[in-house]
Amino acid sequence: MNIIEAKNVSVTFDSYGDIIKAVDHVDFVLPKGQTIGIVGESGSGKSTFARVLSGLQLPTSGSVTFMEKPIQNGKNTYEGALRKEVQMVFQDPYGSLNPRMRIIKAIAEAIRQHQGLDKKAAKVAALDLLESMGISNLDAQKFPSKLSGGQRQRASVARALSAQPSVLIADEPTSAIDQSAQAQLLGLFNELIKKGLSIVLVSHDLGVIRYLSDYVYVMKDGVFVESGKSEEIFNNPKEDYTKKLISSIPGHSIK
Amino acid sequence: MSTNHLLEIKNLKIDVRVTKAKRLSIVDTASLIIEPGQIIGLIGESGSGKTMLCRSLVGTLGRRGAYIASGELKFDGIDLITAKQNVWNEIRGKRIGYVPQSALAGPNPVMTIGAQLAEAILQDENFPKSDVEKRSLELLNIVQIRRPETVLKQYQHELSGGMKQRVMIACAIAQQPQLIVADEPTTGLDVTVQAEIMDLLKQIRKDFNTSIILVSHDLPLINEICDDIVVMHAGTTVEKIPSKSIKASKHPYTIALYNSRIDLVEPKGQLKTINGQPPSVGSWPEGCRFSERCDFAKDQCRVKQDLPLISIGSNHQTSCLRHDEIAR
Repeated sequence: MNIIEAKNVSVTFDSYGDIIKAVDHVDFVLPKGQTIGIVGESGSGKSTFARVLSGLQLPTSGSVTFMEKPIQNGKNTYEGALRKEVQMVFQDPYGSLNPRMRIIKAIAEAIRQHQGLDKKAAKVAALDLLESMGISNLDAQKFPSKLSGGQRQRASVARALSAQPSVLIADEPTSAIDQSAQAQLLGLFNELIKKGLSIVLVSHDLGVIRYLSDYVYVMKDGVFVESGKSEEIFNNPKEDYTKKLISSIPGHSIK
Repeated sequence: MSTNHLLEIKNLKIDVRVTKAKRLSIVDTASLIIEPGQIIGLIGESGSGKTMLCRSLVGTLGRRGAYIASGELKFDGIDLITAKQNVWNEIRGKRIGYVPQSALAGPNPVMTIGAQLAEAILQDENFPKSDVEKRSLELLNIVQIRRPETVLKQYQHELSGGMKQRVMIACAIAQQPQLIVADEPTTGLDVTVQAEIMDLLKQIRKDFNTSIILVSHDLPLINEICDDIVVMHAGTTVEKIPSKSIKASKHPYTIALYNSRIDLVEPKGQLKTINGQPPSVGSWPEGCRFSERCDFAKDQCRVKQDLPLISIGSNHQTSCLRHDEIAR
């Protein structure tokens, strides 16, 4: 079953009278329990499309459905009980956590909001959640500025998971962190996939996409130029653009 | 000690002033040698002191309240530690070019690209002003910017990330320096742009025999374009190894970094991660600073001691005490 479906979605922006097509009539499906990768260069429209899927950006035309129901109602998206089903992890962990809230408080608040627990229970649940993300009780008491980039990104994954979503949309989750921290974060995503979470992974790092995705969409200038099973895309790319992306992976030639 | 190395860093220690009496070391026993025309890759996690080491090469440590506490730092026979401002003025920008980390914020937002290039070119006071534009166009051609005439009149916000970084490189090579320090030049750029910038750096090395220090935390990238790799961990250089023989590394940290590459495992396979967090400045463990995260460490590694780089082969140095026991 497809958990999210996007049909004929377009997003245009008006820039001083110029109409910019960020996303241009694209179709997309996220089957339940799968991980879908979206790759492309900056400006290809992949982040805009991810924002459409998560309801943060309204499409200019076209529609997005969640479990066969449209997510949009007037200007609102994911209303009521749907709200917690789709959560997002942003590229920049510095910007996505409140700098004046201790990690534990930020997560507990999200848990209280989404799971309706009382203060004490939420705190316990938050500690458990953070522990499973590899953040110790000691680190959970700290402010985001006192954590490393990798820890912060894991904390923002915990924030997203606190709503117990069925879909996680991750926009460049590994771009701002070190290689070793990246391996820890990807291991974490891997566990989430095993638990049955559906994930949309947006990245320009093909290594990350190759590692996690079942199915890959390649985006260029607002359209999907190629899509296919992950191994097909990487072993047998058809479009020149995909070939160029793959050959630009550092270390590709020595693999 | 021979003087024909282009750059020689030996046991460099950089401290920051925290309070009047308190000092914190951020780089400690770092050693590095660069020959003319070499590309050296400097790799390490955030906070390992890579950027501070780079800053010591352009004499801008003071702006961050840091200073060189001890060690040697020689560029082409000139002692940079005791260098006065007039000596620095002859070196910084002229003989050592610097490409900063933040490509996107690099160029001055209120100056045209042309004005910035002119400033870089006119560091040489004898350069005839009438030739500035010609030289600017020449530089933009070297860094392969299309429509250089238009770009000269543009501001940085009108350029893409890759173009901004090209402009920064053009400024850095304006005086044909012998050494370029490129501090994470492609962080935040796309893989395709990254590949283009790396080709450009290789081309500059080929055409002008420039030495380059390339700082990054991306091991596959460094491995692809550098001659030698210098690995930093918690403020010290732990291994120097030719990139060809990276697989024969004799330091557990380098090995762990290499193994954490995601292109080595099957999709969704088990990733090998490095245990724990990099030790933070001020709380480095005694002895080997990687010992807390190292599966290989024994008690002898945790004893307080100096761990200099030991030569264990041609152009291969490691600081691991137990390097002869490492077998892969």
